[in-house]
Amino acid sequence: MAALTPYTYIQCPCADPSTLGHPSGPNAPTDTDADEDDRTFDPRAPRSNYSLYPLEYLLYCEDCHQIRCPRCIAEEIVTYYCPNCLFEVPSSNLRSEGNRCTRNCFQCPICIGPLAITSLETKPNPGLLAASDNTAAPHHGPYALTCSYCHWSSTEVGIKLDKPNNVHAQLARLQNGGATRLTGKERKERRADPSKAQDADGRRRGASRDGQDLDLETQFTNLKTFYQSQLADPESSDSGLAPLGDLGYSSPTSLSRIMHLYTGGGRQDKKAKSRVGAMREALGSGEGLQLAHLDESAAIAALQAAGHDGTASTTQLLEQPPHLGAAHPHGSARLAASLRPIPYLLRTKRSKRCPLCRHIISKPEAKIQTTRFRIRLVAGTYIPSLAIRALSLSSGNPPGPAAAAAAGGLLDPLKPAHFLLTFKNPLFDPIKVTLGAPAATPGRFASRVTVLCPAFEVDANTDVWDEALKDGGGGERDKERGGRERRRRKGEDGGGSGGGGGGGGGQNQLEVGKIWERGRNWVSIVVEVVPASLQAPVGGGQPGLLQEDEDVLEIPMFVRVEWEAEAGGDEVGAVVSRDREAKEKRELAYWCVLGLGRIRQS
Amino acid sequence: MSSKRLSILPPVSSSGPKPPVHFSSSITIADSALLTGTHQVTVLSESVIHPRARLDSSAGRLNLGRRCIVHERAHLGLVPTNGRFTEAAVTLGDYVAVEVGAVVEAGNTVVGEGSTVGVGARVGAGAVVGKHCTLTPHTEIAAGAVVPDFTIVFSNGMRRTDRRGVAVELKNKAVARQIDVLRRMIPSNPAKFV
Amino acid sequence: MSKRAPKGEYIETDTGNKVARKATLVGTQNIMLGGKTVIQPEVMIRGDLIRTIQASSQSASGAAPNNTAVSIGRYCFLSRGSCLRPPGRLYKGAFTYMPLRMGDHVFVGQGSVIQAAAIGNHVHIGAKVAIGEFAIIKDYVRILDGTVVPPNMVIPSFSIVAGQPARLIGEVPEGGHEAFELRSLYKTVGNNPHPAPS
Repeated sequence: MAALTPYTYIQCPCADPSTLGHPSGPNAPTDTDADEDDRTFDPRAPRSNYSLYPLEYLLYCEDCHQIRCPRCIAEEIVTYYCPNCLFEVPSSNLRSEGNRCTRNCFQCPICIGPLAITSLETKPNPGLLAASDNTAAPHHGPYALTCSYCHWSSTEVGIKLDKPNNVHAQLARLQNGGATRLTGKERKERRADPSKAQDADGRRRGASRDGQDLDLETQFTNLKTFYQSQLADPESSDSGLAPLGDLGYSSPTSLSRIMHLYTGGGRQDKKAKSRVGAMREALGSGEGLQLAHLDESAAIAALQAAGHDGTASTTQLLEQPPHLGAAHPHGSARLAASLRPIPYLLRTKRSKRCPLCRHIISKPEAKIQTTRFRIRLVAGTYIPSLAIRALSLSSGNPPGPAAAAAAGGLLDPLKPAHFLLTFKNPLFDPIKVTLGAPAATPGRFASRVTVLCPAFEVDANTDVWDEALKDGGGGERDKERGGRERRRRKGEDGGGSGGGGGGGGGQNQLEVGKIWERGRNWVSIVVEVVPASLQAPVGGGQPGLLQEDEDVLEIPMFVRVEWEAEAGGDEVGAVVSRDREAKEKRELAYWCVLGLGRIRQS
Repeated sequence: MSSKRLSILPPVSSSGPKPPVHFSSSITIADSALLTGTHQVTVLSESVIHPRARLDSSAGRLNLGRRCIVHERAHLGLVPTNGRFTEAAVTLGDYVAVEVGAVVEAGNTVVGEGSTVGVGARVGAGAVVGKHCTLTPHTEIAAGAVVPDFTIVFSNGMRRTDRRGVAVELKNKAVARQIDVLRRMIPSNPAKFV
Repeated sequence: MSKRAPKGEYIETDTGNKVARKATLVGTQNIMLGGKTVIQPEVMIRGDLIRTIQASSQSASGAAPNNTAVSIGRYCFLSRGSCLRPPGRLYKGAFTYMPLRMGDHVFVGQGSVIQAAAIGNHVHIGAKVAIGEFAIIKDYVRILDGTVVPPNMVIPSFSIVAGQPARLIGEVPEGGHEAFELRSLYKTVGNNPHPAPS
């Protein structure tokens, strides 16, 4: 199995419904909320998969002081634009034209690559061209769409264009093979004004020929108007037609007779009769009836002629936009010759809001060319970022279980391995971090986990110049902390800034309660793991087949960050009453999952 | 960059013997092209060899047709790791373009006329690629495979027939134009290899 | 033995560019480097494929003022084995090469071949990527390893694309903008490299 680069996923509080303020439903079990606190978070539970995100996907609401994830955030669309021509589409156009580009942007139906408009004319005498190089070559000829990747051309389906612009409108009029087809408007006109001989009279004609005339949209509208008329104005049962030899289901009198048998007499009779007697089925294509073509020999012959290469695959068929002017595809062969260029789906720029307080969290600029954001509150600027690196203790000798892990290899079972966790503080205040990890990982194979220093402080994210000025400025605090060369302090107590000793030594210390290394705004600590053997699951017995990713060593860890921030910062004009020195204690707590690596299957 | 240097070209380590060559007079071969091997290398009229292209005739002859373009870092005649060919030639038809980083292995491999071997593509030993084929970037033709004429090989080894109906003369004219321009841009030095 | 300092692997210019000695740059007077750009060994940049201007408009001036073939922005990083070459096509009957313009903070992975017309800022291109001719890549785009971007494709901002041919498979999250910065990577390369941030 391939080795894994270590990762960190953070759980959004929206996984716990009580934090979102939604009232729990009648059958929401209240004991799970209590369990969430007592039980450790299990990253292998199927539900947790939906609430774990890497840090870059998380946003932060400043009002609620909580993390928000892509699942709980509310999105609103700022602009629509075509990803190919990068032109903005006003939202009014969207309702009328749909959510695809209506200019000249198309995708190849075979390979989803971009299509380019090329002229089909054959070039005249090359000697002539070489002379008139500077003049724009007059491209009068017909145009076609060609794919630059798989070299598909729209001539393969028989589509040629007259002009190189407004391709969408031209394509709407062309069917594969060069025949014309009707746009939506024209179909509506035809329905309104049946100049064509539709079967207005009798249902005898509702046989094969009229059935073929109906396209999807016309059939649907005919059927809909028919049913609406049936519901609104119940027809009287035409008993006169019963003996004409119908099967009896379509005749309302026979239906009412059958129903009468079952329901019996009484009050229900009239209601049933009035209800049942009203509806009948469609009788012709004017009312929306479309007979199925049970004879598929034409389709089979077409398939045999085309061969496997001439058919369209499922993915290709799924990419095609629905066309309401086509006949029902039942019984027709899905040939590659019926594939058409696909207009690009429009993309959006979206702004995101907190679901609780409706505060805007992320808002891009409306202009498509700018990549700036007006507001962008990401979790990376509020919660400490976590980086994991495998640590090999014996710097000299390569062999060793940790060294293998450091090289990106697999973790050996039952041999202790060490990882270095680096917490970087993005805030401008010093934070206190408290970690909690279960002693054994949940799941079938319980690896033992020890966090060597579960509580420590990380300094504020001050500028490099501030730090330099502070250090050079003197003062008793600086004497304790030392000068610039003591910037990286190793082996210190988790208590941090208070204790000054242990600066130089302790490079390879692995003592409990001591951090590994400290920097300007970051702290690294060591986590020791003893991976479980994949042959001995919890509860004894044989492991059987390993589920997917069951050999990945994942540690759930509870992180609690506390810091003191300026109080009353949210309210404008209320500064006078507050004491400047008063600081508000804030804390943020979340579960996260550290993926360290795969365990070797011996 | 400063204009003190015309180019930064680390010295070409020409390891291996200099092969006997048969060049047409009108070809353009860059100075830093790499020709190694023992068998004969034939390059017919008006072909272009970009700098740093490798023509390796250690396993067999190399025959390039007319108006071929071999781009930089392409490797013609790579010896396959498990090849046991006695006559391991590589033949390129006329108007063949071998793009950047493509590999054509030795072993009676034939690339038909008008074909394009895309960026990073790999033609296995003994494969026969038909005329006017297109191998899109990073495709692989297995050793000994046969690709019929007018085929396009694209993502994941899928193939389809090219039915564009592009007149072959048009394409050849385009290639001729390109060669015209390239000839002016790349300083040719065939004498170095003779 | 001579007492000269050993030649470093990189040449560092005064604008901060770090160009490896083993990189192949053809036609350097047509290559513009923005500054603080790293070019690793075995990179190949074709600066000799310049745009052939119409003979009538320019009268025999050897170094035309705007003859750039490849222009690269600041803090770019070209990994080993990558190749940048200008795209070319038939334009008005003649075959000509157009300039390749790259923005700032562009990372090009190992073995990639770039023939795009324009690449924006903060783009991360993976290893063994083939970008076809005249492709346009906007800002904050991540192209995963092994992607083939077909010619003439436009990749809008904040996209993650992969596959052959390249398809949109995701969007860059708002928190992922900082990951595209290459300032720290620039410091780890060179004759006196800083250690990589742990």
